[in-house]
Amino acid sequence: MEKPTVGIYGLTGCAGDQLVILNCEDELLDIAGALDIKFFPMAMTGNDEECPLDIVFVEGSVVQPKEVEMLKKLRERAKLLIAIGTCAVWGGVQAMKNEIPRDEMKRKVYGPEGKVFDVISAQPLSNFVKVDLAISGCPIEKEQLLHAVASLLHGDLPRLPTYAVCTECKMAEYPCLLLEKGQLCMGPLTVAGCKARCPSYGQPCRGCRGPVEEANAASEAKLLKEKGFTWLDIQNRLRTFAASADSLKIESIKEGTNA
Amino acid sequence: MKIVKLPKKNLAEFIGHLNSFGQIHAPVKRGEKSFVFAPVTELTEIELNCNRTILPLKKYFFKPVETMFNFCAQKGYEVPVEEQDKKYIIFGVHPCDIHGLKILDMVFSGRYVDSYYFARRRRALIIGLDCTPDELCFCRSTGTDFVDSGFDLFLSDIDDSYLVRVGTSIGDDMVTAADSLFREVEKEDREKYKAKSIQRRESFQTEIQLQDFPGIMDLEYESQVWEEVGEECLSCGTCSMVCPTCYCYAVFDELNLDAESGQRKRRWDSCLFKDYALVAGGHNFRAERSSRVKNRFFHKQRGFVTQYGRPSCVGCGRCKAYCPAGIDIVEVVNKLRSQTRV
Repeated sequence: MEKPTVGIYGLTGCAGDQLVILNCEDELLDIAGALDIKFFPMAMTGNDEECPLDIVFVEGSVVQPKEVEMLKKLRERAKLLIAIGTCAVWGGVQAMKNEIPRDEMKRKVYGPEGKVFDVISAQPLSNFVKVDLAISGCPIEKEQLLHAVASLLHGDLPRLPTYAVCTECKMAEYPCLLLEKGQLCMGPLTVAGCKARCPSYGQPCRGCRGPVEEANAASEAKLLKEKGFTWLDIQNRLRTFAASADSLKIESIKEGTNA
Repeated sequence: MKIVKLPKKNLAEFIGHLNSFGQIHAPVKRGEKSFVFAPVTELTEIELNCNRTILPLKKYFFKPVETMFNFCAQKGYEVPVEEQDKKYIIFGVHPCDIHGLKILDMVFSGRYVDSYYFARRRRALIIGLDCTPDELCFCRSTGTDFVDSGFDLFLSDIDDSYLVRVGTSIGDDMVTAADSLFREVEKEDREKYKAKSIQRRESFQTEIQLQDFPGIMDLEYESQVWEEVGEECLSCGTCSMVCPTCYCYAVFDELNLDAESGQRKRRWDSCLFKDYALVAGGHNFRAERSSRVKNRFFHKQRGFVTQYGRPSCVGCGRCKAYCPAGIDIVEVVNKLRSQTRV
């Protein structure tokens, strides 16, 4: 079997998802043996920026017009485009304050130096191109990445969890931080795959993996209000990682709960 | 049934004896208010007054996630080997959880016997312990507040002693091996047991009438109540995970990077999950959350009755205790019931 040609690209983000690939230390040789990696500047020299690709993994969100062009070109080059990490899938933390006009934001952050580049609001890849598979996480889980690569080698897309962090939290029998400590836990709204890592350390889920398919944020907001959290607390937590997700938009939740 | 008496001051020593029959698991504290069944070696580690553990006993026999077999294009498949002679004793199991196990035994021993479940189930000894109901317990309403079988030993608190019912021959072995710790049951003990039994029965704070409920559910199939509960439900799956009788699982393959081997696994599933009733071609039979909530109640209280002659709910109160949205089965049942009566 011919090895699939692969490119690993990063748009705007912390490069943490690419780092997860490199952190697969025990499996790196297997990965390198199974894939024909053509582009991965974080890990190698001699990258090919023009060849056709079977699979392209793209990390980071789109925040500049030139990234839109780059992404569209990648889409044309690749048979499969896979978004890796919450930035690529949901916009990530940089999409948190998208309602602030970009010029104002640039002025505040960069002063006069900001004039040299163009920015648009931070957006997920799917706002611009068709995404064949989304592997969310901040960063992605190594197991999910390996699982995805193995499935792709078989000509399949992987089966990733679509259920909430609560499910994995209960499976591991961690005490519920929402109920037992009244903490602002995003477990019921956040897609599983991390094996409830934060609750395992007594920390509430921050929602870094993005929402479950049918996140019932209105019900979560209602129960958080009952526990004494303000709309601002709730809003800040809801939009930290996945502000672009319709189901987490505070405006629609407020309307729904008649607040 | 043989019944003996174990003075409470002898319990620690008895637990010590039990270590020779297998690894002891019992409720221990986790977090501030939660409990879990976990390995212990002595009495001081055990929370005798725990009302409910996060997960019921199913976690021992029907694992949250397990490998069913490894497969390889060249070698075929092989079932992972577990230690076949390792026995474990689960101590401090309340009547509701014993009933839960009996229901799982029934389900998994049906037409297609679940060998994974029974390979572990056969290696477990059950030592029951009675309990005082809290505000979430409604096992009296589900007829699961007392057990006549399903245990090797069952301990009932009669103040300074436990009255010990011996349910199996291995239970008898456990008593015999620690013979000097046990006493004969005397008249006074019998009276205490009966008085305690009445006292316990009268201490239930929550009651629902379930006897004619399947019919009421059919009548209320289109009830607005399902929409209301659907609005609250987070689809987080918690109720299914913590339920002693939820036994649905999803089977899937995980492949290795060599592109020719992998594992077939199964993990707990929940009918509240959006993709639970999703089929090939993209149709979802229960795309609405309200229909999924309704399905869960219907299976517990309606479908199971038709199939097995009793509801599969054992009144343990876990679904209410751990539901982040506070959905209360007792409230739902009462709402449906009051609608019918109006």
